[in-house]
Amino acid sequence: VQRYPPKSPPYHQPAEGFSPFAVGYVELPEGIRVSAVIDADVDHLEIGMGMRLFAGSGVPHAEVAR
Amino acid sequence: MSDVIISGAARTRFGRSDVTGRDHAVRAVRAALADAGTTWERVGAAFGGSDAAGNADTLVADLGMTGLPFVNVKNGCATGGTALVSAVNAIESGMADVVVVVGFDKHPPGAFDPRPQDWGLDDAYGRDGLMVTTQFFGMKIQRYMHDHGITDRTLALVAEKAYRNGALTPDAWRRKALSAKEILDSGMVSDPLTRFMFCSPGEGAAALVLSAPGALPPGDARQVRLSSVAVRSRRFGSFEVFSPWIPGGDLTSVSRDASQAAFEAAGLGPADVDIAQLQDTESGAEVMHLAECGFCEDGEQEKLIATGATEIGGTLPVNTDGGCIANGEPIGASGLRQVVEVVTQLKGRAGDRQVPGTPTIGFTHVYGAPGVSACAVLSC
Repeated sequence: VQRYPPKSPPYHQPAEGFSPFAVGYVELPEGIRVSAVIDADVDHLEIGMGMRLFAGSGVPHAEVAR
Repeated sequence: MSDVIISGAARTRFGRSDVTGRDHAVRAVRAALADAGTTWERVGAAFGGSDAAGNADTLVADLGMTGLPFVNVKNGCATGGTALVSAVNAIESGMADVVVVVGFDKHPPGAFDPRPQDWGLDDAYGRDGLMVTTQFFGMKIQRYMHDHGITDRTLALVAEKAYRNGALTPDAWRRKALSAKEILDSGMVSDPLTRFMFCSPGEGAAALVLSAPGALPPGDARQVRLSSVAVRSRRFGSFEVFSPWIPGGDLTSVSRDASQAAFEAAGLGPADVDIAQLQDTESGAEVMHLAECGFCEDGEQEKLIATGATEIGGTLPVNTDGGCIANGEPIGASGLRQVVEVVTQLKGRAGDRQVPGTPTIGFTHVYGAPGVSACAVLSC
């Protein structure tokens, strides 16, 4: 969990202000682990949870699979 | 196995001050020469460098323009180890019989400030907040704790030992003992690592005088030999800082590769070692490097550390000068600081932090971005 705001620049702080965010590696079925920002409650994440990984305009993001 | 003798060893006071990185280097070289009982004029070659405090060969303006070959080394955290390898090769090839090695640095306060383009990464990694080194350290130890049953308390005990040993080391930066509770309560940086579990970028220098057997008069009854030194870069499948992806399956380790190479060249193994200095960028690194360098199996650290095995009076004293956590991290100087500490211990000159008994085999290990490690085996 990134607990403090990274240095700006290069970090772009969100308009609503900084809040701690999770980062991790999401392992795909093909056997590759991808670095991603994990959009989830940072205090309720565990290694081994099922995740969905998706590409957008920045770095890959992931969320907990339902 | 090398026959190279470490004739002189010295460091400066680490931390933050008005002293420039170059001045640290000049002081360390002069002190190492005095320790060896020789002069700059006798030195036949020099190797050294810094990451952020300038070129080592400019030091001749202060040390003396004797015309010696002076090679600048810039290899990140392995700058000292790489300079050592070069010095050993220079002596063994007959290029010179007395060689100086120096590492120094001075960094601004705060975390290191890497740029995505320097790492071959898209600007998005900086914009979205992933160019932060502490995330890597947090993720690596988080997974290791999950897989091997290491607890937060063990991470705190590693830092507690670092500050306790730093308090016994006159030239360390952090010289105030801190309790495990204070360390755990110092504020989370990147889970599970707290503020006082990390080292800080700082300043300082360390220098060695190496010589061929018989080249310098033996000033000391206990002569320290550099039995081996090895530098390695990462192989495919290692987990390093700022990796957008890593392959699945078991990971490779550059520290494992470099330590095995150093032990093999020395004809010794981890069980022979009486004192070790291991890269402790943060508490978790010391825990994992104990296993990666072959001193225990994965997971055994939980018991080893709780029972005091890595303390100054333990079965394998680790980071007896407080390591990076208590000395800070001047990148170019850290690797040679470790060697200076082992020489000091093997010669029985470590004062209040002297390892009891008579240590005869020492080991040093540095690790850094983007996947480089340097290890040395010293014997007395």
